[in-house]
Amino acid sequence: MTTAAVKNKSAITLKGSSDILCDYLNYGINSILFQRGLYPSEDFQATENYGLNILMSTNNKIKEFLATTLGQLKEWLIKRTVNRVALIITNVKTLEVMERWDFTIEYEGNIEDGEAQTSDKPLKQIKNEIRDVLRQIASSVSYLPLLDCLCSFDIQIYTTNDVELPEKWALAEPANIKNAQSVKMRSFSTQIHKMDTAVTYRNED
Amino acid sequence: MSETSKMNDTIVQMVNNLKTTGPTAISEPSLKRSLSSSPSLSSSLEEATPTKKFKRQSNFNLSYVASPRETNRLRFDLLEARNIIADLENRIQHMHHVRKQMQLMYDNETESLKRRHDYDRKTIEQLEDQLQTIRQRETALKLELSEMRAKYDQIKVTSEEELMALTKELGDQKDQSQNKISDNSREIYDLKQKLAEMENVLVAAQDDAKTQKELVKELSKELKEKNAAVIELEMKKVELIQVKNQLRSLESAKEDYLEYQQQSKLHAKKLNKFIEMEKENAQLKEDFARLKTNLKNKLLLEEEVHNLKIRVEDHKKLEQRLFELQSQFDRNQAYLNEWKAVARGFCESNDNDAVLPHLLRSSIERLQHQELSLLSEKVEFETQIKTAQHEAKVAKAELEKCQKLIDELKTTGTQKQTLIHRMQKKLQLVSRERDSYRLQLDSYERDLTMIGESGTSIIVQSQKERIDNLEKIVGNYRDLVEKLENDLQEAHPQLYTDVVTIKQEQTARLQQEVAKLRDEKEQLLEQRDRLEIQLESLTTGQDTLHGGQAFHLAINPLAECLKERQQQLESLQEENLKLKNKIRKMEQGLETSKLGEISICPQEVQSLREQVKNNEKQTQKLKDYFKSSIQDFRNVVYMMFGYKIDRPTNSNVYILRNMYAEQPEQLHFQVNADGGLDLMENEYSMTLGHLIGVFLIRQKSIPAFLSTITLELFNQRTATQTY
Repeated sequence: MTTAAVKNKSAITLKGSSDILCDYLNYGINSILFQRGLYPSEDFQATENYGLNILMSTNNKIKEFLATTLGQLKEWLIKRTVNRVALIITNVKTLEVMERWDFTIEYEGNIEDGEAQTSDKPLKQIKNEIRDVLRQIASSVSYLPLLDCLCSFDIQIYTTNDVELPEKWALAEPANIKNAQSVKMRSFSTQIHKMDTAVTYRNED
Repeated sequence: MSETSKMNDTIVQMVNNLKTTGPTAISEPSLKRSLSSSPSLSSSLEEATPTKKFKRQSNFNLSYVASPRETNRLRFDLLEARNIIADLENRIQHMHHVRKQMQLMYDNETESLKRRHDYDRKTIEQLEDQLQTIRQRETALKLELSEMRAKYDQIKVTSEEELMALTKELGDQKDQSQNKISDNSREIYDLKQKLAEMENVLVAAQDDAKTQKELVKELSKELKEKNAAVIELEMKKVELIQVKNQLRSLESAKEDYLEYQQQSKLHAKKLNKFIEMEKENAQLKEDFARLKTNLKNKLLLEEEVHNLKIRVEDHKKLEQRLFELQSQFDRNQAYLNEWKAVARGFCESNDNDAVLPHLLRSSIERLQHQELSLLSEKVEFETQIKTAQHEAKVAKAELEKCQKLIDELKTTGTQKQTLIHRMQKKLQLVSRERDSYRLQLDSYERDLTMIGESGTSIIVQSQKERIDNLEKIVGNYRDLVEKLENDLQEAHPQLYTDVVTIKQEQTARLQQEVAKLRDEKEQLLEQRDRLEIQLESLTTGQDTLHGGQAFHLAINPLAECLKERQQQLESLQEENLKLKNKIRKMEQGLETSKLGEISICPQEVQSLREQVKNNEKQTQKLKDYFKSSIQDFRNVVYMMFGYKIDRPTNSNVYILRNMYAEQPEQLHFQVNADGGLDLMENEYSMTLGHLIGVFLIRQKSIPAFLSTITLELFNQRTATQTY
């Protein structure tokens, strides 16, 4: 996927930037699912990317879900209608939201250029930035509270008002967390998109 | 052996010669060979080692003179020797075969021996284990033994003391018994004499018997047919001897019995004394215990004495204090009297002392009530004063305001006076004007009256005059306006100063308001900040949309998870319902058989069965052990006391059979209600009437009875045997 973005070595297109973002999200979400122990560790397989060993789920259901979600997200990213992507971890028993991972997207550069917009930022630099964020995600386990209950996850995409609801998609309810605490991670930018990562979790008192 | 060796040598030589020189003559030893060929068979084993001698022989290397006869002979010999060699080889092979067989046999034997050895080893190990267990038991028993020894030592010490006393008594009693023995010896002597007499009689009888024997011999010679009678006589003789033996034994028994009786009496006495001594001992022990308790009590008393001493010291101190307190009391009494006097004076009454405090209290209470009311009044007054002061202050403030007002009014009054002056002036001016207007009016009236009479020329002239007049009036008005303006300008500064004071007040008020509003603003800002912080803390967990839509896939892991959970819950509920129904049915007793089997855990059953088996084994072992031990006991009892005791099952009768008794001689004892034993009547016991009378009825001693029976039977048996 990234090869499409690096067709012209010196420039990254809007589509390429969207690909980078979706790639990051795919790895990041898989990493979170592994780190937070939502699925058994046997379901994960290590793959190397960004100079890191990232554990990716081998569960077909999860793979399919992520593929459809991120495919839709890519379309919306190209249209610049997405504000935020949220990974929500919910307690299945009580339906309480335990954690919310916010991936906020900002649009940079000359937006007026439309689809012809390009960026000169070197891909290596972007990858290094992404690596740092993924490292932070991996190390977040040390301060996040232990999820000692049966939990599952959902991905919500926050769009502008002018987006039509695609098939098989539904309106999501806001995921509010009681007594919450938020930690902001590093951000990275392709000079077309800027992605901020933050985790909001329920503070146990 | 020498022959065989020689023969060997010759064979070797021959072989050598055959190899070296072919058909050669052989020296003398060959002559002997034929003779010794037959015994050489027995020494076939030596045949196996000819090489050494061959070497030696080869050194000789003698030359033979060839002669045809000798060569023939030699050939013959050679053939013979070869036959012998073959024969011997066959023998060797046979021997090897035998040897192999033997080896096989040995191997088998060794194997069997090894097995035996292993078996022995195992048995040894088992025995070692047993030995270890026995050693353990031994150690335990040793421990017990040591304990018992300790106990025994204790008892020994006590008993030795008793023994000392008893030995003394024994000594005394020995003397007594010696005296009695001397008496007895006399009796014995008499009895011996009797016995001698009896012996004499016996000897005489023997002599008679001898004579009778002689007679019998004579008769036997004469009457060989009456041999049977002789045999009977012999039998009678045997019986006589037995009777004699019995007599002797009875006599000795009688003596022993008498001795026993005496000794038993003595022992009974001793025993009585011993019981008394034991009682004394018990008493002494009690005394000792009492003394111990007394000692303890003494210690306690000493402690108490010590405590009492301490108490006495305390009491002394207390006494001192008491004295002090008494003196204080006296002083206090004096004070009290004073106080009483004061109280009496205060209460103005000469009643009893008992009533006095109450009176005092009531009076004091009254006074306190008064004080309280006064205080409340005082407070009221103070509040009134305060309010009055406040009012005074207010009044002062009002007064000041009023004074200010008065000043203002004064100033305004002066201004008004000036104004009045001016107004009067104006009034004068206005009256003048009025007058002028009147003049004008009069003129107009005149004109009007004139119009009807005079012409227009006059009107024009009069109008010109009027216009002039009016112009004059206008000029006057202008003057007046100017004047008024001047006045106004004069009056203006005063007015201006008033305005300034009002404005100052206003500005002050306004400034105060501004300050207030600023404070309010600051407070509100602070509140806003606080609220913002609160809002921030609240909004961290809130999922804010910021005007947009949030989408998610309808089929997401959470939804699936929830669905699965729901399904699981439903299935569990169904199962729960089923189980509840089952339980209900079980309670009603319908499905007991089905679930009863399920509820019992097979492992538990297995374990219980194993336990049962183990327990059965244990009980069996115990039974065996008890049986063997009982048997041992019975054997030992039989060997030691000579009686085999049996009890038929389900009865309380014990059957005793003596070691020396013949088959039908049995004694039956029954356990009576008191736990004692009663001898039951049977054929054998009927014959023991004398012994029963002596031992059971008179002495009431079953052991003595049984032992006498034993002795009797033993004597009978030995008597028959000795004969």
